[in-house]
Amino acid sequence: MSELLRLPARGGARAPFDCALRLRSNTDSGDNVSGMSVVTRPEESGLSTHSQGFAIVVDGLRKRYGSLVAVDGISFRVKEREIFGLLGPNGAGKTTTVEILEGLRKADAGRAIVAGVDVTNDPQRVKSLIGVQLQASAFFDYLTLVELIDMFAALYGRQVDAPAILRRVDLEEKAKSRVKTLSGGQKQRFSIATALVNEPRVLFLDEPTTGLDPQARRNLWELAQSIQKDGRTIVLTTHYMDEAETLCDRVAVIDHGKIIAMDSPITLIDQLLARGFRRRRVEREANLEDVFLDLTGHELREA
Amino acid sequence: MANPLAMLTMTAIKMYVRNIQVIFFNLFFPVMIVVIFGLIIGNGNATMNIGVVDQAQNPVSQTVLDQLRQVKAVRLYTGSLESERAALEKGDRDAVVVLPPSLGQSPVALSAYYNAGKPQESSAALAIMNRFVDEASFRYAQIQPSFTLTAQPVHSRNLSYIDFLVPGVIAMSIMQTGLFSVAFSFVAFKQLGILRRLMATPMRVPDFLLSRIVTYLMMAVVQMAILIALGLLLYHLHFVGNPVYLIIVGFIGAAIFMAIGFTISGFAKDEGAVAAIANLVSFPMMFLAGVFFSLSNEPAWLQPITKLLPLTFLADALRSISLDGANLWAVRGDLLGLAVWLVITLVMAIRLFKWEVV
Repeated sequence: MSELLRLPARGGARAPFDCALRLRSNTDSGDNVSGMSVVTRPEESGLSTHSQGFAIVVDGLRKRYGSLVAVDGISFRVKEREIFGLLGPNGAGKTTTVEILEGLRKADAGRAIVAGVDVTNDPQRVKSLIGVQLQASAFFDYLTLVELIDMFAALYGRQVDAPAILRRVDLEEKAKSRVKTLSGGQKQRFSIATALVNEPRVLFLDEPTTGLDPQARRNLWELAQSIQKDGRTIVLTTHYMDEAETLCDRVAVIDHGKIIAMDSPITLIDQLLARGFRRRRVEREANLEDVFLDLTGHELREA
Repeated sequence: MANPLAMLTMTAIKMYVRNIQVIFFNLFFPVMIVVIFGLIIGNGNATMNIGVVDQAQNPVSQTVLDQLRQVKAVRLYTGSLESERAALEKGDRDAVVVLPPSLGQSPVALSAYYNAGKPQESSAALAIMNRFVDEASFRYAQIQPSFTLTAQPVHSRNLSYIDFLVPGVIAMSIMQTGLFSVAFSFVAFKQLGILRRLMATPMRVPDFLLSRIVTYLMMAVVQMAILIALGLLLYHLHFVGNPVYLIIVGFIGAAIFMAIGFTISGFAKDEGAVAAIANLVSFPMMFLAGVFFSLSNEPAWLQPITKLLPLTFLADALRSISLDGANLWAVRGDLLGLAVWLVITLVMAIRLFKWEVV
C-alpha cells in the first residue's frame, strides 16, 4: 500500500487530499476504466461523499430470510486502517452483515460502500478490492500452497510472488505442502495469505482463531496487527471478547439484527462500570491463560 | 499465468491427475476390464462353440453358416434343437441360436440359448451371430437389420469379442468420468465451502465451470487413446475408425453425462448421496446398454428401453466408427439419439444445478 494511504484520513478530510487518495487507490488496482467510476461516484450519491476517510460505510442495511429478519437496519462506519470488531451471539446477524459487505449476498434494503465502491451496484469490483477469510473455508485438495496462492492471484488477474506471500504469514517452509497437512493455526494463516494476494484495502476475518490453542491465537493476533500496520483495514468477527479487546480499535455489538452498542472496547467497559457494574469476584492480576502460557511458553506448536 | 480460465483449467488438470482414486476409476478400472475380459475370452484365438439350429434352410441361413465357418474363433455345430440344447446343457456349446423359418423374409428376433456358466463367451458368440444374421438378411432380402449397431455391412473379417468390448468400455468410462467426477467434486466443493471461498473473489462462474468441463473432455480423449492403444497392442483390435469422429462422438457423450453429473450435484446433499444416485444411474445402464454383452441377450420387452439409453447410442456410435470405419453421417441415428439426450440433460442441469451453497 502507498504512503498516501498510511496518512491518517480520519474526520472531515479536505477535498484535494481525498482526491489524491482515491486516484492512488485506482492505480493500485491497475484498472483505470472502472477506477474512474469510483472517482465520479461520490458526485452521484449523497452517501458516498461522506464515505471519504472510511473504508466501509453502511447505511440502513436490511436482510430477511422468509419471516426471519437477519439484519434489521444496521448502520456503521469503519475508518481506514482500523480493526473493527463485529460481536454478537450466534444468529445475531453478524455473518449476514459481513457477507453482504463481501458481495456474497444482496441486501433487501440499505446501502453499503466498501473500499469506495457501492456493493449493490458493483459487487465484482468490491470483491477485487477486498480480502476474505471465511469461517471454516476449505481449499482444493491435491494442490500445494504455492499453487493455491498462484491460482487465487490469477482469479484477481494478478501474478504474485507466492513464496513471499507465504513468508508474510510464516508458511514459507510449507510452500510445497498441501492444506490438509497444516495445523489449525497454519490453516488460518494460509487462509489469510489467500486473502492478501490482491493487496486488499479491506480484510474480512471471520472467527479466525476459533479452535486454536492459546499460542496460535496470539500468533494470529500479531499477524492481524502487522496487516493493520501495512495500512489495511480489518473487519473482525469473533466470539472471544479478550480477542476483541486486544485487537479492535472499535467494536459493534449486534443482537437480533440491530447494533446495540458501538465504541472502543475501553469506552464500552468504562460505560458499564459507570452504570455501577461490579464483578462478583475481583479479578486477580493474572488469569489461567497467563498460567498456561507461562507453563507452556509462547512458542508456536506446529509440526 | 494471470488468465483466470487458463489457471483454473491448469489447476483442475493437476488436481485430476494427482487424485489416485479418480485415476483408478477413470483409467485403471476400464483398462483392467479390457485386459481381464480379453484374457478370459481371448482375442479370437479362443474358440467359441456355437450351435446353430437351421430351421430356415434358405440362402440367407446358408450365408450365415458359411461365414461363421470362416471365423477362426468360432467352431460351428449344426443340428436339431433337441440335440443342440442337450449339447449346451452338457457344456459343449457356448450358445445355441435358432434361425427361424422366417429368416430372410422379415426382421426376426433370434431365439438364443446360452450357457449361463460362461456368460462372456456366450454373449460374444451371440454378438457375432447377430452381426452375421443381420448382414445376411440385409444382403439377400433387403431387410433392415434389427440393430443400428449392425447397420454397416460386415465384410468378412475376424471379429473378436475384444472388438465388441473396447468401444463399449470407452463409452462406459466416458459415462463414469462425466457422471462421477462432476457430481462428486461439485458436491464436495459445496460441502467444504470451497465454492463459497471462490465466490468471494472476482472469479467468473462460467470460467470455473468451463475449466472443469475442458478437463473432463481432455480425460475422455485420454481414455479413448489408452483403451484403443491397449486393444491394438494386446489384442489386435480391429480398429479402422477416424479418431476425429470418435472424439466428436465422445465429446457429445461426455457432455451428456457431465450434464447428468451437474444435475445430481444440484440436489445430492453429500458425497454418500452422490455415490448412491450416480450408481443408480450408471450401473444398470452399464449392463443394459450393451457395453459388455450384445443387446440381444436381454429379454425382448426390455429392448425398446435399452435401445433408447444414452449409453447405448454412445456405445453403438463408437462401435460403428471404430469397427466399421463409419463416418458421422453413417451414425446419424445414434447422433440424433445423443442430441435428444443432450438437450434433455442440459435442460435438467440448468434447472437443477445450483451454484449457490445456501
